[in-house]
Amino acid sequence: MAIRKSDRRRELTDKINLTAASDAARWTFAGDTLFGSGDNAETVSSYVLGNGLTVYLLIDASAPVVSYFTWFNVGSRHEKLGKTGLAHLFEHLMFNESEGLAAGEFDRKLEENGAESNAATWVDWTYYYESLPAERFGLAVTLESQRMARLILREPQVVSEKEVVANERRYVVEDDIEGSINEQLYKTAFTVHPYHWPTIGWMEDIQAFTPEDCVDFYKTFYAPNNATVVVCGAVKEQDVLTRIRDAYGVIPASTLPVEDTVPEPPQMEERTVTMTKPTASDKLMLGYRGPALGDGDHIVLSVLNEVLFGGRASRLYRKLVIEQELATQLRGWVSTFRDPGLYEMYAAARAGTTAEQILAALEAELDIVKSEPVTEAELSRAKARLELSALQGMDTTSGKAEQIGFYATVLGDPNASFRRLEAYRRVTAGDLRRVARTYLLPRARTRIIVKPEAVTAEAAE
Amino acid sequence: MSKPVRETTRLTLAGGIPGYLEPSHALPLVSFTLALRSGAAHEPEDRGGVARLTARMFRRGAAGMTSREIEEAVDALGGEIAVDVGGSTMAFHGTVIRRNLDPFVDLVTRLLGSPTFDETELGRLRRESLAELAEVRDNDRSLAQIAFRRALFAGHPFSRGSSGTISSIPKLGVGDLREFYAKHWVRGNAVLGFSGDLDESLATSVGNKLLAALPEGPRVADDLAEPTVKTGRHLIFVDKPDRTQTQIIIGSLGTSAHDEDHVPLAVANAIFGGTFTSRLMREIRSKRGWSYGASARLSVDRRRQSFSMWTFPAATDAAACIAVEVDLLDKWVTAGITPKELGFVKKYLGRSYAFDIDTASKRLHQALDVDLLGLPADYYSNYVSHVEAVTREGANAAVAKRISLTDQLYVVVGTAADLLPAIQASIPNLESTEVVPFDRD
Repeated sequence: MAIRKSDRRRELTDKINLTAASDAARWTFAGDTLFGSGDNAETVSSYVLGNGLTVYLLIDASAPVVSYFTWFNVGSRHEKLGKTGLAHLFEHLMFNESEGLAAGEFDRKLEENGAESNAATWVDWTYYYESLPAERFGLAVTLESQRMARLILREPQVVSEKEVVANERRYVVEDDIEGSINEQLYKTAFTVHPYHWPTIGWMEDIQAFTPEDCVDFYKTFYAPNNATVVVCGAVKEQDVLTRIRDAYGVIPASTLPVEDTVPEPPQMEERTVTMTKPTASDKLMLGYRGPALGDGDHIVLSVLNEVLFGGRASRLYRKLVIEQELATQLRGWVSTFRDPGLYEMYAAARAGTTAEQILAALEAELDIVKSEPVTEAELSRAKARLELSALQGMDTTSGKAEQIGFYATVLGDPNASFRRLEAYRRVTAGDLRRVARTYLLPRARTRIIVKPEAVTAEAAE
Repeated sequence: MSKPVRETTRLTLAGGIPGYLEPSHALPLVSFTLALRSGAAHEPEDRGGVARLTARMFRRGAAGMTSREIEEAVDALGGEIAVDVGGSTMAFHGTVIRRNLDPFVDLVTRLLGSPTFDETELGRLRRESLAELAEVRDNDRSLAQIAFRRALFAGHPFSRGSSGTISSIPKLGVGDLREFYAKHWVRGNAVLGFSGDLDESLATSVGNKLLAALPEGPRVADDLAEPTVKTGRHLIFVDKPDRTQTQIIIGSLGTSAHDEDHVPLAVANAIFGGTFTSRLMREIRSKRGWSYGASARLSVDRRRQSFSMWTFPAATDAAACIAVEVDLLDKWVTAGITPKELGFVKKYLGRSYAFDIDTASKRLHQALDVDLLGLPADYYSNYVSHVEAVTREGANAAVAKRISLTDQLYVVVGTAADLLPAIQASIPNLESTEVVPFDRD
């Protein structure tokens, strides 16, 4: 059956290619892959246009809507010192003026057609998306292809968006305690790798961008051979391929620079920063040097994270929040980056408890997972939680498209979320103890502590 | 225009209790909601937080199971439970991987039907709740929302949040929770909803199991008064050190879903501040770059709720931003909307309705809202037609009638020493100013 479907897709691309205006506008069918597992698995088809644009298509007729994601293989890791935040600034500029489309028209057209749209930037990637009533699919193709090739980057647009981004930075970093701790963590943990700087950029860099900076960046990274389009929804294959071919086939590929990222050297001693903020209680954030998303250990460490931090039955929540009543908030996360990142742990202390007390209690528990295997019941619960979470992420067309695009962009595998789910099932208690011993090393740790400023009304009483 | 796909299935449950089902077999997941027709606004006045504490105690001991045993059982089944407590309603939500539905439902019936309300666990929850209340002070947006709600609805139960206060939580004892449970978590006060991988027969069976777990009891009387508004323009300044940015909420009373001009007002509000290209976004973000976001909102509850505008400009732009918002509001109320704006927003609201009903869970919660909040029966199912019927004259009359220019509340979170005089000067005819420390109870 799978072979017949593949043959039919090749026949379809052959047929569409009969009317291609150039080699850049010719489709190649690159294969099908199952998305999901068991009876609920769906098929994701992959196509590549002659100019390098990759398209993943999942036909899902469960609702009369479609989601259209464009992932660019550019994030803050591709920036240079002094120009940090440029990738994120584009997340704003791309909604502005392009040839044939005045400022404000992009959003107006989308809203007039009932679309939802947004964008996101992180260290390894940038994506833009539209979710539309299915019959309006063509609008997304038109608008996205226009702004991929014909964005206008002049002084007024750049000045206005710089100001908006500066305000965004005040909101998510300067006046936000967790945001400022997180920024400090990566700034301290990474010294030479671009994960050192925040995706939103340093404030002085944001305010110094020129239109010329933006044009250079745009010409370099915004091109079909640096992009992946994911289409998920109630659409027809031929219509999708024809429209995308007609809109993007005329856009030339760019010459992408060879990435010049310096790997972060091993961390040989703990780094500590203490800050003060107007808050009632201490905060603690730890970052252990962790594996890259594509590393097999990432899967094992993600299961360990569920055992330690996943839900109210997890070891650390039970110890630190419920039994010892040291913390109000507690979470752990293994960074999902292309290069090795951090295993982050965050705790907000209760009033009267210090970050140092939390650290001592946390270290005691981490020592236990390094010396003793977790129980089979704990392991089983962690796997069940991960399965539930994966299924919940697939409820909407946009949820599916985001998963496909993320894993295709970072790992080159659109179905990696389900391959990871299968891999979680194979993880053993021995695996968990091994990764705990490998990664939970105090010498490879960065510690950020926030202490309250003594200026609050209650403190003054 | 997008039309509703179909009506939500009504279930016939024991005792005539309403039930709703939105099946979807796309994923092996089942979700259910056991909702109640009362909430934090129905707490005794001196027992702020009792509704939420009662609901949170379900997972902290029931039918011979300890808190730990409950949490482990939920996780082992690939399940998730949550409670939410609003002003007029409360709900217990459960989601589980389909293969474990039966044991999950058995577990939930134990939690809902036989909560232990253990003294030691309650003491722990009280301390946890107090720590969470202190933690909220780190979030400037939450500080603005709390100050706005308290001042706008002063003297009305809507002024209370569901979390209680640092002074009310320590007073809550096991007796208070048992009393609240006995009155509110009863069959006659319940509405049930299901979505996901189950059919009508299974949903009915599960629904009856859940209902059987609840004690017998009548629906709680809907005796909330209509809120009234304080006359004049008043400023609440929440003073917090070291702010580079402000959080600003401006508003007044808004709409009731039963107003004849409810939909026209909602349509006009979408033009004013409900979309990315609304007047507020265009003037404050796009033209001036002052704030990352700017929006206006009409909340809906069983009684008239708030109209509010929200922005968060840099401290240096705050006063100028308020002046622009005041001017925009004045123009909206006095000059109204244009035919072009109305035509545009009708297309937006009609076509984007597809995303209000694109998942079973969203469709279910529309049906539950209609029942719980007493919304007109066709509030959602004929939403697109209601929007289509709005005229410019009707929308402008609704704005002029419902949005007051003279009675307005201004809430600013910022550093008073740097900003207060400039903020006061930006508000014409300001009658009073109250400066409150950010860490007050």
